[in-house]
Amino acid sequence: MIQTRPYEFMVSYTPQTQWIEKGGIKLWLAFFFIELGAGMFFVASLLDNLWAMSIGWLLCAVLGGGFHLLYLGKPLRFWRMAFSSGWKTSWISRGIIFVSLFLGLGFIHILLMQSGIRSTGLIVAADIFAFLTVIYGGFAMNYVNGIPLWNTALLPILYVVSGLWGGAEVTLGISLGSGGIVAGKAVEEWIRILLIGYLLLVPVYLMSVRYTSSTGQVSVKYMLQGQWSVLFWVGVVVLGMIIPAVAVINSIVTDIETISMTFLYSAILSGLIGDLAMRYLILRCGVYGPLIPSSTYA
Amino acid sequence: MRWGMLINLVKCVGCYSCVVKCEQEHFLPPDVLFSRLLISETGEYPRALKHVYPVLCNHCKEAKCVDACPTRATQKRDDGIVWVDANRCVGCRYCIMACPYQVRTYYDEEKEYYPGQGLTEFEKLGKKLHPYQTGTVVKCNFCMDRVDSGIKRGLKPGIDRDATPACVITCPAKARYFGDLDDPDSEISMLTRKWRPVQLHPEHGTEPSVFYVIG
Repeated sequence: MIQTRPYEFMVSYTPQTQWIEKGGIKLWLAFFFIELGAGMFFVASLLDNLWAMSIGWLLCAVLGGGFHLLYLGKPLRFWRMAFSSGWKTSWISRGIIFVSLFLGLGFIHILLMQSGIRSTGLIVAADIFAFLTVIYGGFAMNYVNGIPLWNTALLPILYVVSGLWGGAEVTLGISLGSGGIVAGKAVEEWIRILLIGYLLLVPVYLMSVRYTSSTGQVSVKYMLQGQWSVLFWVGVVVLGMIIPAVAVINSIVTDIETISMTFLYSAILSGLIGDLAMRYLILRCGVYGPLIPSSTYA
Repeated sequence: MRWGMLINLVKCVGCYSCVVKCEQEHFLPPDVLFSRLLISETGEYPRALKHVYPVLCNHCKEAKCVDACPTRATQKRDDGIVWVDANRCVGCRYCIMACPYQVRTYYDEEKEYYPGQGLTEFEKLGKKLHPYQTGTVVKCNFCMDRVDSGIKRGLKPGIDRDATPACVITCPAKARYFGDLDDPDSEISMLTRKWRPVQLHPEHGTEPSVFYVIG
């Protein structure tokens, strides 16, 4: 844990705590499940996989929404976030609107699909809001210009890629589990593209932050060399990147049908743990620069 | 009209009067501070220097917290004072994250100044006068109650004690000045032109209303 002694608060680099410590940990899980669920719904809807869509919807509504509500200091007032004029400027307010519309439209679409009715307009609208749900967390964090680790245009892109990738992984697991080899192969194409994007984005994101400012440099140092380095190298790199990459290469070299299901499910789980670790580190290693610039000392 | 504050660091002696007076004025619960002193050291003995920076909400002209608030609980008045309507706050703490100066506090639980010994008379009175709601964000409001009631009584903030923020009137070194930054004839405007003070982190584009004179 990054320790800040009381007399160091905002005098030296100060880590943000509200969105990761104590009750703040719920927000980490909330963002993960909201984006994973919406990403899953998005990918599954393109493959007409009702099971995966329903599970994605549930992940988003129950776990994502639930953790969001539990995090709030005044959860019974949550409706104010959608019914105020806050959406004009606040990404949190916009996010609540996106999530609500996605859940509403997605629920109707799932009900209609179960009855054998397919509405293209409805699914397009639901998918648009699912995509916006995946992306809003990145924009909400990107707005915080006091934390250079978050204040980069690459963060929303990273969140979209990881949200869709995680969603595609779980969809693949469900497709193969229910015997849908054809659908599984289609999702596999998605996973390959998204994994390549993720593998490229993580180092580019960290490098761009590293060279933005001294505060960004400190954040990246905490992540790669400091007390969080084990979580980064084991969680993000080994579990989140290398193991899924080995599974993808294996599926290209051989065939998805011939890969051991145990290995495949392990790789999916490993990828999800890696995504969780990355999100944790982004929240945990977000630091504010010293409030008092040394050049202004009296 | 835009209320602002000028803090002359050359005069500041780091006595914590502003911090204590602020706590008293607003009946702040334990662990909640609207006004702080940031103290740092540079150099090494025998050339070590101690630096004291009193900090409070900057009441930014382009306040990031106002735009971040999803419920419009954080508002900016026409006179530039940024305040939090506790009845609207949902406790999402996005404003705390958005503030690059970290001068907001999340009031998460009620505490006693003397744990296990019950509330003091001061705390009991504070609960009646300033019933802070747990699960909401609190911050400095430039003593807007004092300013508003003073103006109603025909007093002038920055000149008359009863219409001026508590930290300004209590400063024994007279290091703080308060007034209308938009009025070119106000004391604070004249001193700002004369002393050429700095704002904290102007690169964030927030245009703080608190200025510092640095020797």
